Amino acid sequence: MGSAFSSLLSRLWDSNKEHRILILGLDGAGKTTILYKLQLGEVVSTVPTIGFNVETLTYKKLQFNVWDLGGQTTIRPYWRCYYSGTAAVIFVVDSTDRDRLEISANELKTMLEEDELQDSALLVFANKQDQPGALGASEIAKALDLSSLKDRSWTIVACSAIRGDGLTEGLDWLVDMIKDD
Amino acid sequence: MQARSKQLKNTKFPDVDTQWLFGCILCLALVFVDPTATRCWIWEQILGITQYPTLYPTGISSWLKLPSCRELESNHIAMSQWEKRIRDLFRTAPRGETSELRKGLVSQYAHERKDAIERTIHAMTLGKDVSGLFPDILKNLATHDLEQKKLVYLYLMNYAKTHPELCILAVNTFVQDTEDPNPLVRALAIRTMGCIRVDKMVDYMNIPLQKTLKDENPYVRKTAAICVAKLFDLNSQLAIEEGFVEELQNLMDDANPMVVANAVSALAEIQDAAPQTKCFEITSTVLVKLLAALNECTEWGRISILTALADYKAENAEESGHICDRVVPQFQHVNPSVVLAAIKAAIAHMPSQPNDVQETLKRKMSSPLVTLLSTPPELQYVALRNIRIILQKYPSIAAKELRVFYCKYNDPLYLKLEKVEIMVNLATENNVKQLIAELNEYCHEVDMEFVRRAIRALGQCAIKLESCAPAVVDCLLDLLDNKISYIDQEVMIVMRDILRKYPAFEDAIPRLCDSIEEIDEPESRAAIVWILGEYSDKIPPIKSLIAPFCRSFLEEGTQVQLQVLTAAVKLYIKRPDEGKELIHELLQTATSKSDNADIRDRAYVYWRILSSDPAVAKKIVLAERPIIETTIEKMPESLLNELLGEISTLASVYHKSPANFMGRGRYGSDEVQKRALEEQRQAKDELNDDNLLDLDSGEPAKSDLNMLTDIFMNQPSSNNSATTGAANSASDDILSLFASVTAPVPTPSGGSSGAAPSADPFNFSSLNIQPTKPSPSLVAAVTTSTTSSNGSFDDLFGSQSASVPPPTTSGGDSKNDLLDLF
Repeated sequence: MGSAFSSLLSRLWDSNKEHRILILGLDGAGKTTILYKLQLGEVVSTVPTIGFNVETLTYKKLQFNVWDLGGQTTIRPYWRCYYSGTAAVIFVVDSTDRDRLEISANELKTMLEEDELQDSALLVFANKQDQPGALGASEIAKALDLSSLKDRSWTIVACSAIRGDGLTEGLDWLVDMIKDD
Repeated sequence: MQARSKQLKNTKFPDVDTQWLFGCILCLALVFVDPTATRCWIWEQILGITQYPTLYPTGISSWLKLPSCRELESNHIAMSQWEKRIRDLFRTAPRGETSELRKGLVSQYAHERKDAIERTIHAMTLGKDVSGLFPDILKNLATHDLEQKKLVYLYLMNYAKTHPELCILAVNTFVQDTEDPNPLVRALAIRTMGCIRVDKMVDYMNIPLQKTLKDENPYVRKTAAICVAKLFDLNSQLAIEEGFVEELQNLMDDANPMVVANAVSALAEIQDAAPQTKCFEITSTVLVKLLAALNECTEWGRISILTALADYKAENAEESGHICDRVVPQFQHVNPSVVLAAIKAAIAHMPSQPNDVQETLKRKMSSPLVTLLSTPPELQYVALRNIRIILQKYPSIAAKELRVFYCKYNDPLYLKLEKVEIMVNLATENNVKQLIAELNEYCHEVDMEFVRRAIRALGQCAIKLESCAPAVVDCLLDLLDNKISYIDQEVMIVMRDILRKYPAFEDAIPRLCDSIEEIDEPESRAAIVWILGEYSDKIPPIKSLIAPFCRSFLEEGTQVQLQVLTAAVKLYIKRPDEGKELIHELLQTATSKSDNADIRDRAYVYWRILSSDPAVAKKIVLAERPIIETTIEKMPESLLNELLGEISTLASVYHKSPANFMGRGRYGSDEVQKRALEEQRQAKDELNDDNLLDLDSGEPAKSDLNMLTDIFMNQPSSNNSATTGAANSASDDILSLFASVTAPVPTPSGGSSGAAPSADPFNFSSLNIQPTKPSPSLVAAVTTSTTSSNGSFDDLFGSQSASVPPPTTSGGDSKNDLLDLF
């Protein structure tokens, strides 16, 4: 009885409701680095993620369940397993990798066509801005054809996971979007 | 505003791409709930403003109450949300337990997810198929809750094979878990990784396994050691190339006994699966380690170490003695498997020891073996099967322990039978009196099978030990007084054996003859007919006793028919006047009406011998038989020695060499199942072939010949050496007889063709009256001997019939018959 009450209360207060956020992108875009930079505030050394990482982080009194899915070609087909119930998608693009920008755009397009993601907000991180020759946010947005997106709240933020620039900015936007829900 | 919206709705709505009805409901609802949103929406419909609200001057837009950019954007989202919510309301949610569980597994609340996992595992243990939830369960893999992690891992192990491709999604978590600060988590991760037997997983196992093998925590190391064996099973090449096997060998030097034990069992398994790796070789340094670890590890570890010790060939007697010394304390272990493994190790190293040490060891083995009999029945059975092997090799171990093998009234039948078997083996001059009293008790129990076994055991005792024979015969005759059919049947068989060994008990025959009416089982009937034939000169009313058997000759089983023939011939030879009529009639029936080739052959053969020279016939039919030593079944020496090395395995329970019931090389349950299926298919194919043969050829002789050759091929493997020995000696007898008989037989068709058949029945009779239990092997021996004699006969005839004219002694029709036969 007591536990039933407490669970009821906790639901009422919405205290431990977790918002599910996916971090997607091609391999080597810096997804895992972003995740741990957000969670631990430090840059960890990473190996290619076979599978996923998931961390819970609290930002502005909201609890996020952040999923970082591996970006290798073999794993991309399984992204769809994680789509349901996703509040927002963080799509990470390696701004220096001009050759694969097109692949990235295609992946994004296929992903956004998914039924389960119709309500999710989209935050695009143009990562690796610390590197020389990195494309700017607007160029990336153009390459990904973001402007053609309808019925979706989206934004693009230039960032550097290693330096930590732009991450909080993007997250703030995300929090706003989720709070609006 | 309400009116305006209604008006607008009428004019504008057909242009909008959403459904009409939805629109109506939406509109009305929105007007009440959210006026601002409605306003935005309406203006949007009228002016088509979606993207460029700044197009209009601010003054106009405020006057017209045009929505601002921000308002429009949020409105857009709000609208689609309303629409979706209403749509959701009408959509029926998928029902059923699985979808409910799935919903729980992806819930936004941690406690709901955990609850759903628990329920999923519950369903899994109930045997429901919850493999469909695999991807959703997988999402809950990464958690810091140990309990939840264990459950998810459990699920993974169970269902990994259903979604092999999805398993790689778990890799990252596994790798992370093998670096967890908690050793339990590290061990759990590597264990689960090993248990997920999916090829794709192997590529990712490398690094975590290397890491855990060198883990600082022994628990993790010992788990990783087993994991290497599993990896080897999946991909042996990788396991060797990456140096895992070497790593295992290093682990045998580990400081922790548990790790040593697991390394030993993993290596033993690898060695078993791939002997060419030679990965498991005990050297004297390793031996010291093993012996040290023996006392400190768990029972599983002890078993694997003891098994390794049993397989180890000691370099010298001193080393063997050392091993024995260290193994003996394990006799006291509470786990029966450890005890048996210890005994196995001790037996393996005992022969090199001096006699007095051997005696001490045997004495020490006796009490733990006896203790095994106070376990539950199933364990007792395993223990008894093993004890039987040990006792056959070293009877002295339990020589004084006869009492512990007495059957309890509530023992299951399989235990009782096994105990009787052991007791008979243990019978000596000293204890046989007690044993007979005990067996006599059993004969009065109600369980038919047990009673019959007890009666048979009495006979075995009598034949083994002459001194107790009178007591046994008394006891058996008393049993006949009870007039219980199955007892009578069994007593007949046992008495036949006893009379064979001790002809002096002929006084008992009248008592046996009294219950001759009751006997209806073929083996018992054959037994009593043999007795009648053997003692035909000493039973006055013999004719009236044998006559009924002759009358019902054609209805009897083959076994009985053969005995009746022989008995009639014996009667005729011993008392020609009484048997004359009978034998004539019988031979007539047997040669003309029987459709069994063996019976006909034998009848012809007897007929021919009798008509050629009664003196020779007497010499052949009443020849001296070899004396029987024992009727107790013994394992052949080679099998016994093999089984001594297999104590406490399945082989020791089956009393079969492992090669007989397990596939070559790897033998998992899958393999066995596959083999069984294949065999079934083959059998079906063969059946079809046979049918075809029968259909098209119309010559059954051919398929018979096939069968013969089949049996010939099988003979060496299916017979154990005892029966082949008997068969061999029988054929030797034939040969010697053959040599001695050929001269006096005056058959015109040449010695060989006449003598070969005359030797043949002797072969039969010597085998048939061999008083052994009708075990399958004996039956096999009988069939093979008949077929082999037939075969040789066949050859003889085949080669000779062309040149030599057939025998003329027994009339024209018999000639034809004989020709038909071959």
